[in-house]
Amino acid sequence: MSTRTQWIFAVVAASVATLIAAPQADAQTKTKSVPKTAWGDPDIAGTYAEFTTAPLERAAELADREFYASQAEWQKYSEKRINEVNEDVETAPGTQADVHYSMGTFKLSENEGTTSLNMRTSIVTQPKNGRIPPLTPAAVARRDAAAAARKGHEFDGPENRSLTERCVVWPSTLAPILPRGYNSNLQIFQSPGYVIIQGEMGDPRMIPTDGRARPKDNLPQWNGTSIGHWEGDTFVVETAGFNHETAWRNSTENLRVTERIKRIDDKSLEYSFTVVDPDTWAEPWSGVYPLTKMDGLLFEYACTEGNYGMANILAGERKAERDAAAHKTAAPAK
Amino acid sequence: MKLITVAAALLIALPVAAGPLTQIPKAADGHPDLSGVWQALSTAHWNIEPHTSAFPVVIELGAQFAVPPGLGIVDGGTIPYLPAARAERDKRFGNRLTDDPEGKCYLGGVPRSTYMPYPFQIFQNKRDVVIVYQYATGFRRIFVDGKDEAPLNAWMGWSNAHWEGNTFVVEVTGLNGETWLDRAGNYFSDNAKVTERYTPTSPNHMRYEATIEDPTVFSRPWTIRMPLYRIVDDDYRMLEFKCEPFAEEKIYGHLRKPAPPASGGSK
Amino acid sequence: MRFTVAIGLALAGLFTATGALAHHAFSTEFDVNRPITLQGKVTKVELINPHSWIHITVTDDKGNAVEWMIEGGSPNALVRKGINKNSIPIGSELVVRGYGTRDGTNKAVGRDIQFADGRALFFEGSPPPDGGAPAQ
Repeated sequence: MSTRTQWIFAVVAASVATLIAAPQADAQTKTKSVPKTAWGDPDIAGTYAEFTTAPLERAAELADREFYASQAEWQKYSEKRINEVNEDVETAPGTQADVHYSMGTFKLSENEGTTSLNMRTSIVTQPKNGRIPPLTPAAVARRDAAAAARKGHEFDGPENRSLTERCVVWPSTLAPILPRGYNSNLQIFQSPGYVIIQGEMGDPRMIPTDGRARPKDNLPQWNGTSIGHWEGDTFVVETAGFNHETAWRNSTENLRVTERIKRIDDKSLEYSFTVVDPDTWAEPWSGVYPLTKMDGLLFEYACTEGNYGMANILAGERKAERDAAAHKTAAPAK
Repeated sequence: MKLITVAAALLIALPVAAGPLTQIPKAADGHPDLSGVWQALSTAHWNIEPHTSAFPVVIELGAQFAVPPGLGIVDGGTIPYLPAARAERDKRFGNRLTDDPEGKCYLGGVPRSTYMPYPFQIFQNKRDVVIVYQYATGFRRIFVDGKDEAPLNAWMGWSNAHWEGNTFVVEVTGLNGETWLDRAGNYFSDNAKVTERYTPTSPNHMRYEATIEDPTVFSRPWTIRMPLYRIVDDDYRMLEFKCEPFAEEKIYGHLRKPAPPASGGSK
Repeated sequence: MRFTVAIGLALAGLFTATGALAHHAFSTEFDVNRPITLQGKVTKVELINPHSWIHITVTDDKGNAVEWMIEGGSPNALVRKGINKNSIPIGSELVVRGYGTRDGTNKAVGRDIQFADGRALFFEGSPPPDGGAPAQ
């Protein structure tokens, strides 16, 4: 373990000790009155970091255990994750880990900023094993057919690349919002009758809270159509009507997402979600993690405008094809 | 006459049940409430200067994609370009098929996003005014009484605002100079400062003015002005216009895998 | 209902739920068999998304001035740490270690970028050369 890693553990361990000793949070939040906006809605506005120490899915051997039993166990499970991303770790030259396209060039760790410590063993809470349910046979068939159609054509044109590379959507900024490798932040604005949620690399979601019904036309949208309402102090958002090309985690256009956002204290919100798509998963699944208020602002993520990478990727493949033709050798396997 | 018909249709669509608004709506803090979906109604997106009708940029597109005529939105009619800048504008006009950032789905910038032929929605609270533009899902956070400067230049710039009576005044700096003002090659540089003024004139109308200062491109500051119309349809919602997929052939088409000689071709 | 106790903490370490996702994978754009080390003067700084690009002029072994473009990360975290458009002055001398693009042109990803005197580009304790120390 490098010096830097040891230092991180020292800091984290001290905080986790406090965390374990602290009473469960719900007892406190029930009694506190939640600050309100000028028009009377609970105030959840702000800029928040999504980073949390809990992994999306639980390690299999932890079975149905939702929380780590001790600081030592938390450290054991977190160590590998910290090491994977620590700048001090030597990585093989030219590998993805070595040049990970995020903050490494700038000598920053990827989530430079605010991270919530989390004694949960996974973000996923339902099913009980903390793991995303397996894809249904129909979803597996869909996924495999798409992969087969793409095979050998991965570099034919921009449409063959991922939605992220194409700057269309970052799946993790859609509903449900999940932490990403970097720029994993969001901002929430409120105005009478609306809540706007924008992931740092995503589109603003304009969520009406004025009591309007879900539109009957159900026109498909890349981000789906979100309708919100307040249940006491909890903001509840129902999103459906996704574009079939969005295909978040192999889901269909029938995907429905329910998000619940609740203020915990001045520094954090609880974000929970449930996803339902019987064509993709045999059962609904749910998760929860904290959003932590951060300093600073989100900056414009104009992706298409600066996407030199797409041109470089396609140009690189065209050169490889020309070279292969010239040398009468097989094109390098991808 | 067609334009006037469209305008009338928009206004006739007032929700009858609620009764027409007669007062300018006010926000909780007493300032005018600019919230809602708005759109400009002109041919300024083709050319902000006065212009007669013209052939489409691709001749095969025919009459329905021809440039419609318009009186323009520039105070005094003509943009006060410095001579070299006017030549640059003319060059851009000549290259508009390939170079206009709108064709590539690039963010429209300010003020162009206001009068592109797409709606935009304003959200308002005491601290922030947020504008979401349908085109390219453009987004602006406007800091009410903000004093900070742009850390980096951006497509939509950096917006600090204040209220002057009933007028919401937005000072926009940190613009990257990559945006155009219309489809006719009008432009400014990254030295530009744009001062926008939003003034409600009725419950469903605003006057929009923008003064553009850029001493490297213009001989003096100049102003555009136009009305903005509230979209009053019941149950209106602003749908996505994510135009990235539509621009991929234009931007990356030359880098596609060449089609095999016999048949087929890449997707 | 039991709920996670969360403490916001500014940490230098990284914890994410989904690992280090990138806008695109290294090997699709860059060639591991084309390592480069360049020294040159900054001509243009594009702190843009999805990736920053720094343009430098390098003198090749025949004495010709050659333009190179170097890719770096998304600038958003830099902005939050106080980096601005003046943080890399035009004309600064940089040393870049990285890998060239697969298309063989003068573009590369910057694995390490330093000022010629050995200072890190933005961080590791050294303020940028304009004296504008990042707000850490």
